[in-house]
Amino acid sequence: MEVWHLLNESLATGSESTLRQRSTVPKLTPPRDDSINTTEDAPKKVIKSVFTSAEKTNSLITLAGLTAVAIFARFYKIYEPDEVVFDEVHFGKFASYYLRGSYFFDVHPPLAKMMLAAMGYFLGYDGHFLFDNIGDKYNDNNVPYIGLRALPAFLGAMTVPLVYMTMREAGFPILTCTLAAFFVIFDNMLVTQTRLILLDSMLVFFMMCSIYSYVRFYKTRNNPFSLKWWSWMIATGVSIAMTTSVKMVGLFTVATIGVAVIWDLWELLDIRRRLTMQQFMNHFYARAIALILIPIVVYLFWFYVHFAILTNSGPGDDFMSTEFQETLKGNTMADGIYVKYGDNITIRHKDTSVYLHSHYHNYPLRYDDGRISSAGQQVTGYSHEDPNNLWQVYSDSLENTKVGKQVKDKDVIRLLHVATSSWLLAHDVASPTMTTNEEITTYSTDEDGSRFNETTFQIILESGGDKLRTMASNFKLLHQSTKVAIWTHPQKLPDWGFDQQEVNGNKNIVQKSNLWLSDNIEGKNASEIDQESSKVVKKRSFILKFLELQGKMISHNAGLTDSHPYQSSPIEWPFLAKGISFWTENDTRKQIYLLGNPLGMWIAIASLAVIMGVSGADLLSRRRGFYPLNQDVQKRFYYATGFFFIGWVFHYIPFFLMGRALFLHHYMPALVFSYMVLAAVHGFIFIEGVDGPISDPGPETRPRQVQRAVVPVIAYATGIILMVIHLGSFLFFAPLSYGTSAPDVAGLARRKFLPQWDFHFAK
Amino acid sequence: MYTSENIKRRNPVGSSTNRDQVHQQQDDHHNSSQNRSSDPYGPNPLKPAFQQQQQHQQASAYAHRDHYQFGYAPPRKEYSANKYIRFYQQNDYILIPTLLTLVSFWTRFRDIKSSDIVVWDEAHFGKFGSYYIKGDFYFDVHPPLGKMLVGLSGALAGYDGSFGFDSGAKYPDIGYGFMRIFNAFFGAIMVPLAYWTSQELGMSQTACVFAAVLVLFDNAYLTISRFILLDSMLLAATCFVFFCLTRFRNERHDPFSLDWWLWLAMTGVAIGLVSSIKWVGLFVTALVGLNTIEELWDLFGDLSLPKTTYIKHWVARAACLIALPFSVYVASFALHFAILRNSGPGDAQMSSLFQASLNGNDFRNNPLYVAYGSKVTIKNTGYGGGLLHSHVQTYPEGSGQQQVTCYHHKDNNNNWILKNIKSEEVPEDAGSPRILRDGNLIRLGHEQTNRSLHSHRIKAPITSAQWEVSGYGDDSTNDANDEWIIEIVDENSHHPKDGQLRSLSTTFRLRHRVLGCLLTAENVNLPQWGFRQIEVTCDTRNRTNSPHSIWNIEQHWNDKMPAGEGNLYKSKFWKDFWHLNVAMMTSNNALIPDPDKEDVLASNPSQWPLLAVGLRMCGWGDDTVKFYLLGNPIAWWGGTLSLGVFALTAFYYIVRRQRKFQDVSPMEWEQFLAAGKLLVGGWFLHYIPFCIMGRVTYLHHYFPALYFSLLLFSFVIDHFVNRPGVSSKVRNVVWAVAFAAVTFTFLFFWDVSYGIRGSANETMRSRQWRAAWNIIDDHKPNTFI
Repeated sequence: MEVWHLLNESLATGSESTLRQRSTVPKLTPPRDDSINTTEDAPKKVIKSVFTSAEKTNSLITLAGLTAVAIFARFYKIYEPDEVVFDEVHFGKFASYYLRGSYFFDVHPPLAKMMLAAMGYFLGYDGHFLFDNIGDKYNDNNVPYIGLRALPAFLGAMTVPLVYMTMREAGFPILTCTLAAFFVIFDNMLVTQTRLILLDSMLVFFMMCSIYSYVRFYKTRNNPFSLKWWSWMIATGVSIAMTTSVKMVGLFTVATIGVAVIWDLWELLDIRRRLTMQQFMNHFYARAIALILIPIVVYLFWFYVHFAILTNSGPGDDFMSTEFQETLKGNTMADGIYVKYGDNITIRHKDTSVYLHSHYHNYPLRYDDGRISSAGQQVTGYSHEDPNNLWQVYSDSLENTKVGKQVKDKDVIRLLHVATSSWLLAHDVASPTMTTNEEITTYSTDEDGSRFNETTFQIILESGGDKLRTMASNFKLLHQSTKVAIWTHPQKLPDWGFDQQEVNGNKNIVQKSNLWLSDNIEGKNASEIDQESSKVVKKRSFILKFLELQGKMISHNAGLTDSHPYQSSPIEWPFLAKGISFWTENDTRKQIYLLGNPLGMWIAIASLAVIMGVSGADLLSRRRGFYPLNQDVQKRFYYATGFFFIGWVFHYIPFFLMGRALFLHHYMPALVFSYMVLAAVHGFIFIEGVDGPISDPGPETRPRQVQRAVVPVIAYATGIILMVIHLGSFLFFAPLSYGTSAPDVAGLARRKFLPQWDFHFAK
Repeated sequence: MYTSENIKRRNPVGSSTNRDQVHQQQDDHHNSSQNRSSDPYGPNPLKPAFQQQQQHQQASAYAHRDHYQFGYAPPRKEYSANKYIRFYQQNDYILIPTLLTLVSFWTRFRDIKSSDIVVWDEAHFGKFGSYYIKGDFYFDVHPPLGKMLVGLSGALAGYDGSFGFDSGAKYPDIGYGFMRIFNAFFGAIMVPLAYWTSQELGMSQTACVFAAVLVLFDNAYLTISRFILLDSMLLAATCFVFFCLTRFRNERHDPFSLDWWLWLAMTGVAIGLVSSIKWVGLFVTALVGLNTIEELWDLFGDLSLPKTTYIKHWVARAACLIALPFSVYVASFALHFAILRNSGPGDAQMSSLFQASLNGNDFRNNPLYVAYGSKVTIKNTGYGGGLLHSHVQTYPEGSGQQQVTCYHHKDNNNNWILKNIKSEEVPEDAGSPRILRDGNLIRLGHEQTNRSLHSHRIKAPITSAQWEVSGYGDDSTNDANDEWIIEIVDENSHHPKDGQLRSLSTTFRLRHRVLGCLLTAENVNLPQWGFRQIEVTCDTRNRTNSPHSIWNIEQHWNDKMPAGEGNLYKSKFWKDFWHLNVAMMTSNNALIPDPDKEDVLASNPSQWPLLAVGLRMCGWGDDTVKFYLLGNPIAWWGGTLSLGVFALTAFYYIVRRQRKFQDVSPMEWEQFLAAGKLLVGGWFLHYIPFCIMGRVTYLHHYFPALYFSLLLFSFVIDHFVNRPGVSSKVRNVVWAVAFAAVTFTFLFFWDVSYGIRGSANETMRSRQWRAAWNIIDDHKPNTFI
């Protein structure tokens, strides 16, 4: 028994000095909840705050100082380089599209990009520059890039006071809060990534707003349904919505807050809390409104603004459905005209953009591999415009009785190849290159009608309404008698087929590449088109547009699986096993290389190991009936430090489940949490006791004894050592983070702590 | 025998519900009843009622436990006066499973030769079985045990291994009926196992029978059991593991007893068996693992347990649940290697040394010393490494030059000629051949296309951080990028390490002279354009110890060199074991869906729980006997529904308990949680991994998970009909409806399992319950939800 106790003591504290803080007599009952916790000899007055006004002033001064340093660290030479850096290619471009109002597609929600666009708008920038390549000059193109960068840099700097205040509100001493803020200020990754035109700065800012608001909200829990309680809860809800509106990663923040809320609700449900079921349900509904309903409204609102700004056709059109594209000004879909029986149309394959084509040449009777063909007329895919691409649409009756009627979905049609006067036909003969697929050929009108049944195709519209329309309708042509779909694939036919693409009948009729569209009707000139289509931009309900875009965002995000030379796997992030080259300049040998603060990050990961070890040891010892931690210390350890740790877990672990290409900067949100944990763990080891109570007292709260943390000299000493190490490491790597000066080859070699860090100009 | 008065079915909800207090009471009682050690678990929730009753008889000192003992046990009636009925009542624990097993045998064995052609994956597994009979080395992604059993069944049937098992081919007279019956036997024993497992989970007798009937009358289990496949063995082994686990759990009150040891060891052996059939068995192993962790955690909290005893618990589990299964797994591979002594189609997956040890392999007769002008094949030494390969197809991106890959199939495209680089004076054929040495510069010419192995500063197609390797130029172009340096790494035989390159035994690196990078194949598969072969790159990281950058000469032809001396090589079992396992893993990972192709047989995990898909197991012509892999819809839907119902019920109870409402007695609650954890956990562990893993998935991957949901189905019904306030009339009606629904649905889908004869379109239209099933042909093309 003693062994267990001692083991836990040593594991939990790592220090003799805190022994006296902890109960030495094993308690047989677990610690009780603080709302019903009373201490007999407590003073009878309700404490407003445990901190003296002098302490509050000190805290404010520290906060102001740290903020100033943070701003300096982010804004230092923000004008360098005056070139497009890394993903500014994307996000700068998107801001330009907003300013032009042209529709684009991106996997991230719109908020941060709209903020950048708004910044550009206030700076008088008109969106003329498209940020096409890394290294394009800003000054040559009159782009107010400093202003654009100032927004993320400012929000990146503002993350620092938020971290400080969050730690402070969670009840940590000034030293601990300063430590956390200091580590956030001087992390190279946070600096590099937040002073460029990128989204992560906004993401981390709103994420910290959410955490801060939630901590404030939790502290008002003794006065439920008060104005303050409502305000902070709604602030939390709005903040998580803003975070998610920047990047879907915000959902991890939602999960972090969500877990805390569910835990809180579970405690409220406990019968010992003496809430009636009605009161509990009120708590539940309030949270549902503030943390579910309001965030959804906010999230949708930004999409509403997104659609309201992007009214013109643009580079994102092709990602969307026909119905969606018709809502955009200047979109070609609006030019589509209805196809009528008797029209001569071209039929183009959607995936490979070749026309359905035929000509006066036949399939060779015998292929190279010895198989035999029908020797019928070739039907191929041809990528150029040509009279041989024209097909006349007939109905399935022998006489073309429906001339002038519009072609509808599920109509059975026949297609006449105009130039050779023969019917399109599919039959059970193996295609030239794929034995599994049917050969497509034609059948001359001169012959008798005995093969009529092989020439009928059902037209199945997959999008674009229920009538066939040029440009707008995607359709399949399903052969009636043998159930194959007309299909083509990029395989070229041999010389006898003039290197054109093979067309065959695909037995897999559900395949998405079976889609074709008609892009032209012969002889319908522009005036006719104008008459037929009024060119009205159509309306579509917001919610349909939103659902479509959201679906596309998710599927495209999952589809970003192409490998990238600087991608990394999540397991590498906390150890900083890999960096990203953002920008290089050959003449000056300058470069920006995204890398965290190596020493800082390695200390942070060690502190995460400490928290896991301590909570594990605590869990085991409690299972054996020992309570090695002082009740208040333990509570602070789980409720504050543990909460930040959960934040780290939720912003990190889910990446392991993602199939898409991942990058080091995806670790940024988790990194901020890991620094907060680092500071808290430092406090846990070196600072004795905790400040408390820190939550607002409620009407029913019994007076509690004030207790104060004792910050010994060793805590200051170790804190300063940590900060010096961190700052030194930051300054050492600063040239690579800012890209303002170029270390020589030896200097780069010295900085190459790990062999995988592939700096440029290192040779 | 006990009488009804000392059984109270349910504990009236009292004030002493706190677990600690229950403990306290128990401990008190234990103190007074001298012969029991401390019991950390409280009353045993999983022990079937009849066993507990026996215990109860033996020790009447436990009378105090009666009021919470028999949570779920149905009220037992007095024995009838009629002697036949009494005989049944006294022996029902034997009669019922016997009857179920007999029906199970009948359903599984009847008309088993109705299709005389090779159906579906019989083409694979029948063939693998043949290899064991012939002793030819083959390669497959699954561990060997199941296929060895197929081979055994063939041997027992007198089959000589000569049939090719081509898909759809008509069986010659090879006793395939017996082989199918052998397989079906495993499918059949799932039924009694389901019965006994339900009993161990503490279900009522009716519920146990219902669980067994769900398994018995599931068309999918039936269909898949009746062919020469691994699934019936896998399923039976999974059921057996789960049975052992529940049985072992019920021995937890008497640790280290003979029964306790027996069932712990049985669980371990069963884990070994199931993992040796398919790796899917690791999922049920995970269930055992989680259960073990929970048990050890419970025991850890038992303050009165001596530490030595606690350590004994750990050691016992480590021995029986880790060492024992691992031994079984390794033994299956040892047997595999022992049987397959001849060279066969799977050689190329293994190391060159292993291949050289197979009968019929002529590597050892190859010339020993490799010289300029030699024709060779070059093998990657990484686990699962292939042969350096090239073919006329070109890279679609990058340089657009000829592809160079690593490939496991042996063909002439693996042949390379070791040539002098152009700038050297000495011609290749002059005088006696010059033996290659450490540090020599060579050019590797591809025999078939005459291209040279080439690398350049162009990103590799997949691993874009490394350089591409291609086939480029020919003898007339003199390109410095074709030059490679031989770096000898090691000598694996008794030869001295003298810097000379020997075939088979010497391992070496190939370093690009200009770029300084190493020729590497890291088991990364190329997309379809590269035929899913392994990407070859030139690795700039200079990882000189990576086995993926180290090669050896496998086959070697050189007329000017003397032939080798023969038997010099021995490969080590552990090396071969790991090699084969890594190769299996690599091939398994390569089974990823091809986005360009929509496979009609493959299905998505989201389609399984509600049986949105079926699977055609053979051609659908009118004159074939057609089998459609489709579950019993009522059983599948019921199973899935019960997961939801169970989750909601558990949520309801937990929330109510937080408000101190006691809806069920502590005894019942323990049982509800314990059985729920095992069944829901088992389902999740067998289902969720398929949603995460990237490989192609098929309907039959759901079958192990289904077993857990079927048991849960019965458990949930049992839980609700055995409530206070549910009259026995209602109970009987519910059970009757459930039995009838499952039985009639089974009969309705009879033909789907036993073979559809004639035109499916004409006879099976009424069975097409869901749009995406393709039992009949003219389903609407647009409705594939």
